Amino acid sequence: MNPPHSYYFSLEIVLMYLRDMVERLVERCASCFSDPAERLQFLQRATVSDEGGQGRTRFTRAFGWALARHEFVRKLLPIAGLATLITVALGIAVVVEGGSRQAAISPSIPPVNRQAEEQLNASPNAEAPELPPRVWLVEATQGFDLYSNGLRVENQFATATGPRTYLVFARNLRELEAPERRSSPAGIVFHTTESHMAPFEEDHNQGLRRAGEGLLEYVCRKRAYHFVIDRFGRVFRIVRESDHANHAGHSVWADQNWIYVNLNESFLGVAFEAQTRREDEPSPLNPAQVHAGRILTDMLRARFGIAAENCVAHGQVSINPGARQAGYHTDWSAHLPFRELGLRDNYSQPLPSVVLFGFETDPSFSHDASPVFRQALLVAESDIQQEAAARNLAIERYRETLQERYKDTIKALAASTPTQENSQ
Amino acid sequence: MTNAATQATSAIGLDVGTSRIVAAYREDKGIQCDTQLNAFVTIPFSKLTQSVLKKERIPHLVQDNEITVYGDESERFANLFHKETRRPMLRGVLNPDETGSLMLVREIVRLVTGREQGDGQKICFSVPAAPLGADAEVHAHETALKEMLSRLGYDPRGISEGLAVVYGEMENSNYTGIGISCGGGLCNVCLAYLSVPVFTFSIPKAGDYIDWSAAKLRGESATRIRTIKEESFHFNGQFTNKIHQALNTYYEDMIQALVAALKDTFASVQNMPKLNRPIPLVLSGGTAMAPGFRDRFEKTLRDTDLPVAISEIRLGASALNSTARGALVAALSEL
Repeated sequence: MNPPHSYYFSLEIVLMYLRDMVERLVERCASCFSDPAERLQFLQRATVSDEGGQGRTRFTRAFGWALARHEFVRKLLPIAGLATLITVALGIAVVVEGGSRQAAISPSIPPVNRQAEEQLNASPNAEAPELPPRVWLVEATQGFDLYSNGLRVENQFATATGPRTYLVFARNLRELEAPERRSSPAGIVFHTTESHMAPFEEDHNQGLRRAGEGLLEYVCRKRAYHFVIDRFGRVFRIVRESDHANHAGHSVWADQNWIYVNLNESFLGVAFEAQTRREDEPSPLNPAQVHAGRILTDMLRARFGIAAENCVAHGQVSINPGARQAGYHTDWSAHLPFRELGLRDNYSQPLPSVVLFGFETDPSFSHDASPVFRQALLVAESDIQQEAAARNLAIERYRETLQERYKDTIKALAASTPTQENSQ
Repeated sequence: MTNAATQATSAIGLDVGTSRIVAAYREDKGIQCDTQLNAFVTIPFSKLTQSVLKKERIPHLVQDNEITVYGDESERFANLFHKETRRPMLRGVLNPDETGSLMLVREIVRLVTGREQGDGQKICFSVPAAPLGADAEVHAHETALKEMLSRLGYDPRGISEGLAVVYGEMENSNYTGIGISCGGGLCNVCLAYLSVPVFTFSIPKAGDYIDWSAAKLRGESATRIRTIKEESFHFNGQFTNKIHQALNTYYEDMIQALVAALKDTFASVQNMPKLNRPIPLVLSGGTAMAPGFRDRFEKTLRDTDLPVAISEIRLGASALNSTARGALVAALSEL
């Protein structure tokens, strides 16, 4: 037989009363500490959850810690009544916490999880979802593919080039030992087509369509990009995902473990029909394009297991190897809507071409890039200055060392990759 | 601060503000603080100037054909060379328009801590709460500072600026209450309950906003407006001076925005703790130091319907150092 509703109501009132008592007791105990740091330590032990919660309450733990403090014992013990109260309250605290693993003092206080906080601090923008939702192919026809998240990919311009195969280099190895060969795409590079833009207005439908068709024919001939998202938010497959496409040319990216060089082979290219805009200008995308970009990104990430940190702007990866400069192409140095695409804001990542290969940044970045991107450039520059100082090397000498590493990487690629790279 | 003093301390609190950097450390008689302007000025390089600076022990860096004087001395040199000081930080975070901003912050940190390198000391440094839509900028800022302090040999951890004010000023209420830091770039706010932050936020209207807006309105330089603000401005209801009138207008705007944001945040916060008594509110930071500011803020707040009772509204006991002191308390609590 179930207890009556009034039973639960009464229990709730009792629990509220007990929690209030525990809270007052914690405050009373805290006031025994005249040292502000010790008082804070006690309160944090009494209110903040950690891994030690099993079988012990936060309050008992805090109280045990406090008893080891001479000042606490000296001030607390003369209060005889309180000692009894503590005994009772300890029992109460166990009951209250046993019933609920919420915050010890008040069930409504959001507990601070230090472990989670540290994880959040450790990874940039960790609040962005790391795993994309599951997406599957619903229907495949000659003209289009339909996916479970509503993505429809038009196939009339789809072409083939050659199967993808590429080398990746371990980030933590000083020597270029045994790079791995892979065939599955490791990331996505986002581009703008930089093509002619008719005004996005009803009166210009014909011009908009004509510009879009001309663009698709052009990129199809050039085998440029894997996908193009036109101005109406339609997604066109240009080069099949199993093949390499011409889109990134000389380029560098790295995740936590691996370095990718010349990303035509290793990364998928997704281009928005748009022109680059400066940081202080409005975004070049319309909502239909952003939505299409989101569901296309979700599909590709779900299908190939692509990490969020490997979804980046062309401006972040492009390099000029001759001048040893990062930022040969600068499209999407600002305005790429990472969040709306379901990604973390990768603008905050230091450029691997600077940190790992000693490239300098193109001066145009300082005017056109987003503020976060510019900050990341500063961090990257500062990093290599510090590294140089730590090695007791002049910055120029340290850059040369890193640039030698780039040369070795290119030699290794040339020795193993038959594909002709296109300098997009 | 002497090196001997820092050798003795095992923890440091650091307030990395847009206009000042303050280090707090514990000495026998209590907490000591050292402050430097978070500013710099560049002057043309000459061997003579460099040798004078070296001889006078004026903090400076030589880069290319320029000498960068930083910290408190930058203001004196700016006046000497008829230049405006520049800031390594803007609106609470590293200024992306100033190359070398992180390096300058590092040098100023060395000045306030009085030493080139740390010895693994715990250091808690203030981080602003992200204004709406700027969380990535704040994250990049915090990451950059943490990295820089690690490389200097410290064991760093960021602490929300508003929470640091609570830790620095609200020991008597067991770290329960609202801490507000009105700085140069941002106003940071935190409600904490028994040391646990319930919410933090910031608004981008603060000292610089007042200076720049009043300067634009009156056609003066922001530096001149700031000097007038710091030397002679006070809230008394009657302003014969047009610059004082402009300052009053933008101060009022800032206070209104701050109180409105506080009200909105209370309305939107979930899991609000049940507060069984009125809580205190503490104002800190250079922008809150104007005579009459507290009274004006209290009047605006009392006219607003907040869902919590406020027991007192007071200026911090050490309003310019509250954040650094709170950061120090946080650092000491982790030892």
